[in-house]
Amino acid sequence: MIGLVLVFPVLLSIIGLIVKNKLVNRINLGLTSAAYLYVSIQKITHYEFYFLPEWLLQYFAFDEIGLFFFFVMTIVFGGVSIYLTFYFKEHNLSAVKESVFVAELLLFLAAMSGVILSTHLALLWVFVEATTLTSALLIYFEKKKSSLEAAWKYIYICSIGIALAFVGIIFLSIGTRQINSLYFNDLYNNANLINIFWLKIAFAFLFVGLGTKIGIAPIHAWLPDAHSEAPSPVSAMLSGTLLNSALLGLIRVQQIFIKTNLEDFSNFFFILTGFLSLFVSSVFMVRTKNYKRMLAYSSIENMGILFIGISLGKYGIYAAMLHTLSHSFAKASLFLTSGNILYLFKSKKIDDIKDLIKLDPKTGWLWIISALAIIGLPPFPIFISKFFIIKALWAKGVSWLAILFFLFIVIIGFGIFSSIFNMAFRNNDSALSDKHYNLGWQAYTPQIVLLIILFFIGINSPAFINALINNAANFLR
Amino acid sequence: MNDFIIILLGTTILYIFPASRLEAYVKTLAVQGILLFFLVIIDIKEINWLNILFLSFETLILKGIIIPYFLLSVIRKNEINREIDPYISQFYSILIGSIIFIFGFLAAFWSARLDAEIKPLYFGISIVMIISSLFLIINRKRIITHILCYMILENGIFLLSLSVANEMPMLVNLGVLLDLFVGIFLFAIFFNKIQQMYDGNKIDILTELKD
Repeated sequence: MIGLVLVFPVLLSIIGLIVKNKLVNRINLGLTSAAYLYVSIQKITHYEFYFLPEWLLQYFAFDEIGLFFFFVMTIVFGGVSIYLTFYFKEHNLSAVKESVFVAELLLFLAAMSGVILSTHLALLWVFVEATTLTSALLIYFEKKKSSLEAAWKYIYICSIGIALAFVGIIFLSIGTRQINSLYFNDLYNNANLINIFWLKIAFAFLFVGLGTKIGIAPIHAWLPDAHSEAPSPVSAMLSGTLLNSALLGLIRVQQIFIKTNLEDFSNFFFILTGFLSLFVSSVFMVRTKNYKRMLAYSSIENMGILFIGISLGKYGIYAAMLHTLSHSFAKASLFLTSGNILYLFKSKKIDDIKDLIKLDPKTGWLWIISALAIIGLPPFPIFISKFFIIKALWAKGVSWLAILFFLFIVIIGFGIFSSIFNMAFRNNDSALSDKHYNLGWQAYTPQIVLLIILFFIGINSPAFINALINNAANFLR
Repeated sequence: MNDFIIILLGTTILYIFPASRLEAYVKTLAVQGILLFFLVIIDIKEINWLNILFLSFETLILKGIIIPYFLLSVIRKNEINREIDPYISQFYSILIGSIIFIFGFLAAFWSARLDAEIKPLYFGISIVMIISSLFLIINRKRIITHILCYMILENGIFLLSLSVANEMPMLVNLGVLLDLFVGIFLFAIFFNKIQQMYDGNKIDILTELKD
């Protein structure tokens, strides 16, 4: 099972690079999506079947929280791989370039699954660094000056950050001398043997390192550039899955603190950077003139919300898990739709986009509904998660923080919605508005499916998704 | 003997603070790789051939020869000789370098008091290497220097892991090595692209993306 997840994409990407055929690429994408979906279903229905050598099995495993993140990744990747057929058609890529793109994407996916499945802290580090290396070339895929700048900033800043995380791992290995192992299970089960001093120092480095990858506020410099310059399907993957998988690394570290009853120490950092992210994104969201950058700032905001949720105990963690899922789906839908808009208008400036709803009604409505989903209008589940977080803040006795939180999300909601409303409904006098476009079913279906899933989770969540979220939330205690 | 090697490693850092010729950086990297190789060889207590082979490949072949040679060829191909004026002048850099060294020695004392199994001198110098490389990255303007200083950071982290003497599983070591190798390779690719596209290689030119 784990072999399927890790080895399969790598094998297919190599095959794709050798054969360099368009049909093979599509088959590869389809096969990987199918394989991931298969694994998710099998895991959710508790059917165990491994085909990986015994000695490798100790390094990779599905636990409750990993399964949850894996499920989210599967759905987002499925959507992106359908959308890619539109992207390839629209860009008229040669078979070679297409093969390179698909191969890089599959390697990126394998690296992210490695992060999710790793049972060893240092191995998790290896895969986090691998996600940087495999996605950097994807960001530079359109070979423009600006995308080169974004890719360089991304790979360099993240590499430095991840290098610091490794310093944290070394410090942690000093603190865990009595356990003499960095397997997560050993760390959790023998948490009382960890030296607190070294654990705290290690946390500082791990927090900065993985935080860089998550894109949390003071160390988010790469995120808006990379998200805005990458091809839209890649942006969807970055925002919907990459940030999550790095976050999972930090959640696993936070679990050590929960086991050692030192949450107060780590929670302080989570809350501080969480609110800082809200502040930064609310300032830039209102200011920015580029709609893809606006979505990137929204990702920073949502990561901030997740950080706040994680630090709030039982209800907060439940809300954070629900928020992870909802944010990934809604943001993937937004980024994919932004790809449609980019194709129609050939511009990333908000001011250049007019009368979207007349030009291409489907894209226009998807854009608006996805924005409603990310802002958190009922019935979309982000409403529930934000509500829970405000409630949890209030219950903790920090009502002023709850009010501050509310204020920030109102400003950010206004920022997103005023831009998106303008883009959709602002009148355009030119003859352009008489035309109607239809981009083909691949350009709409993924977003529609993602939004329908979100809608149902908000209205009446299916039992298995409830169970997934609950199990993931119960992991952290 | 290994104290002597550690002191030499510290000296390479002092040498790099005022350096402005890029080939000097590359040579320093090669020297550091070879010094780390000797350190590993002297330190080995039990004979595990696989481990020795792996570590000597990592230090001598990769850090001492392949990566410096590769970076040197990148530098020669692009005909860059010198680092341009750094943000903080040479004199003050050395001053800051000395302060970092003082901090490193303090860290060595603290670490010896906190944990009996840490090798204090290793620990101190590795902290010096890590902080100095970060300082150099902030202070220097050329993109290629950033890549070179990233390698110094990696060497510092390698020394830190030697000071702890806790072994990671082989799979992890392999992964770390692969990441490092691919990382340097990608850095060089992007560097060449920046050189072609922007007709320059200063960090100041990368200012197109902002709000």
